[in-house]
Amino acid sequence: MKMRIPILKLKDCLIVSIQWELDDQTAISFQEDLLEKLHTTSARGVVIDLTPIDFIDSFIAKVLGDVINMSGLMGAKVVITGIQPAVAITLIELGIRLENVSTALDLENGLEKLERELEG
Amino acid sequence: MNIDSVDIVTEWDIVAARQLGRNEAKKVGFGTVDQARITTAISELARNIYLYTGKGNIAIKEVTEGNLKGLLVIASDEGPGIADVRRALEDGFTTSGGLGAGLPGVKRLMDDFKIETVVGEGTKISATKWLR
Amino acid sequence: MNKQIAGYINEHLDEILERWTIKMEDEKDDRFFQIMSEKVIDNTVREFGELVVFSLTESEEVYRVKLNDFSVKIVRYGWSVTFVLKALTNFTHVLYDKMNEDGYLNEQNIISYTEIMTNWITPLTHSIVEAYSNVWDRTVHLQKMALQELSASLIPMFDKISVMPLVGTIDTERAKLIMENLLHGVVKHRAEVVLLDITGVPVVDTMVAHHIIQAADAVRLVGAKCMLVGIRPEIAQTIVALGINLNDFTTTSTMQRGVEKALALTNRAIVEVKDK
Ligand SMILES: Nc1ncnc2c1ncn2[C@@H]1O[C@H](COP(=O)(O)OP(=O)(O)OP(=O)(O)O)[C@@H](O)[C@H]1O
Ligand SMILES: [Mg+2]
Repeated sequence: MKMRIPILKLKDCLIVSIQWELDDQTAISFQEDLLEKLHTTSARGVVIDLTPIDFIDSFIAKVLGDVINMSGLMGAKVVITGIQPAVAITLIELGIRLENVSTALDLENGLEKLERELEG
Repeated sequence: MNIDSVDIVTEWDIVAARQLGRNEAKKVGFGTVDQARITTAISELARNIYLYTGKGNIAIKEVTEGNLKGLLVIASDEGPGIADVRRALEDGFTTSGGLGAGLPGVKRLMDDFKIETVVGEGTKISATKWLR
Repeated sequence: MNKQIAGYINEHLDEILERWTIKMEDEKDDRFFQIMSEKVIDNTVREFGELVVFSLTESEEVYRVKLNDFSVKIVRYGWSVTFVLKALTNFTHVLYDKMNEDGYLNEQNIISYTEIMTNWITPLTHSIVEAYSNVWDRTVHLQKMALQELSASLIPMFDKISVMPLVGTIDTERAKLIMENLLHGVVKHRAEVVLLDITGVPVVDTMVAHHIIQAADAVRLVGAKCMLVGIRPEIAQTIVALGINLNDFTTTSTMQRGVEKALALTNRAIVEVKDK
């Protein structure tokens, strides 16, 4: 059983909407798929929307952090959107601050933010 | 008393364990934030079993103490044990290139937390969240 | 002799209470006599005397009801437990002195008097203290709930800007509640900037600062920005003295400056409108 997370392209941005609970394998293949797609599309920004996700543990947090750093290396900015209050609280209590991560309330705000950052 | 448990052998069992935990937490009446805390703690404990020991078990049961209701999570394995528990509980300590956030995180996410471990025999971690 | 003592107390209640009041007024450290009106003191004292008599003469049930009413009152008036216990001791002393003076006590009945007093006063003390602490617990619980409700709501101010005023001491329990309300409020009101107003927080120590930093971090994760406003001079001093690092934070001393910054962050400003 292997699930793939769909990655959509909108202008020069990629949109990833994670719709269900991430198992470790899906998280890893998502990382690979996203980098591959960045390479083939030369997109300059990525919005990862986590609205439906109801928890993030240290493993998934690490994968996310890695994805953001790797994308940065490939010249793309990442904005994470839709982190739920319960998820934010557990992340903080886990001691995971995702310090240099850009965030926004939802997908629309995230895209706006990305546009501003890419212009500026 | 309700006891449910999941054996942890493959990566998929981690998903099964946290689903069980989430359902039990809902049943006991925990709110969304505590549900997330419990699910996350279970995920950390189950992944540690998967990563560091061959095989183990996550048991979840409802407990009461006086007027208090709570959910007890027991993660047990017959793996190598943890030689330096104090270090394993430090933020950032990892032997696997992880974030080292798991064990200290579980301690913060839950209300009660206890580790019993014997090198060469295994580890048993009990953690309880109380309903307020 | 039970009835006899009760009868005696009833008969001389006014004088006993008067003497007792004088004795209690000497307990200068208690606020009760300083802040209450004469009438309230008078009534409370009388009620206390009646309660003591009731415990000798009335049925358990009647006494219980009276005891509970009385406890509710004295907790509300702010009697301390020490004060309640002193009141009882003083009452027995006054009673003893008075009976002695009136020649009621002699060598024959002093033993049975002592016995009755002991059998009477000990359970009386217990029941009063128990009732007192029950009422006290209830009061504290209610106050705690009231404080929690009062002090942790996020108020939308402008489009995209909300404010949460914090009032009172912050402990771990409250910090968790504040964090939850803050985050749910941010998502619900779609706030992009929240102003956390700590004007009403008396002490900011490392623990409180830690909770505030965590709250701000969590706010950032859900996609908004948290600003700290209402930093009084003494708070700024403790923060620096304790070596707490709030550098990652936008902080301002007044709400007004905070609002201006929040507007700037959301690309807006308050402008004066010229007269037409
Ligand atoms: N059940 C276990 N048996 C043996 N060793 C363990 C067990 N659980 C944890 N450990 C050891 O304790 C260390 C710390 O665990 P912890 O979960 O805190 O961090 P991590 O697993 O390394 O990283 P993260 O959980 O952040 O991905 C691990 O690296 C491992 O060496
Ligand atoms: Mg771990």
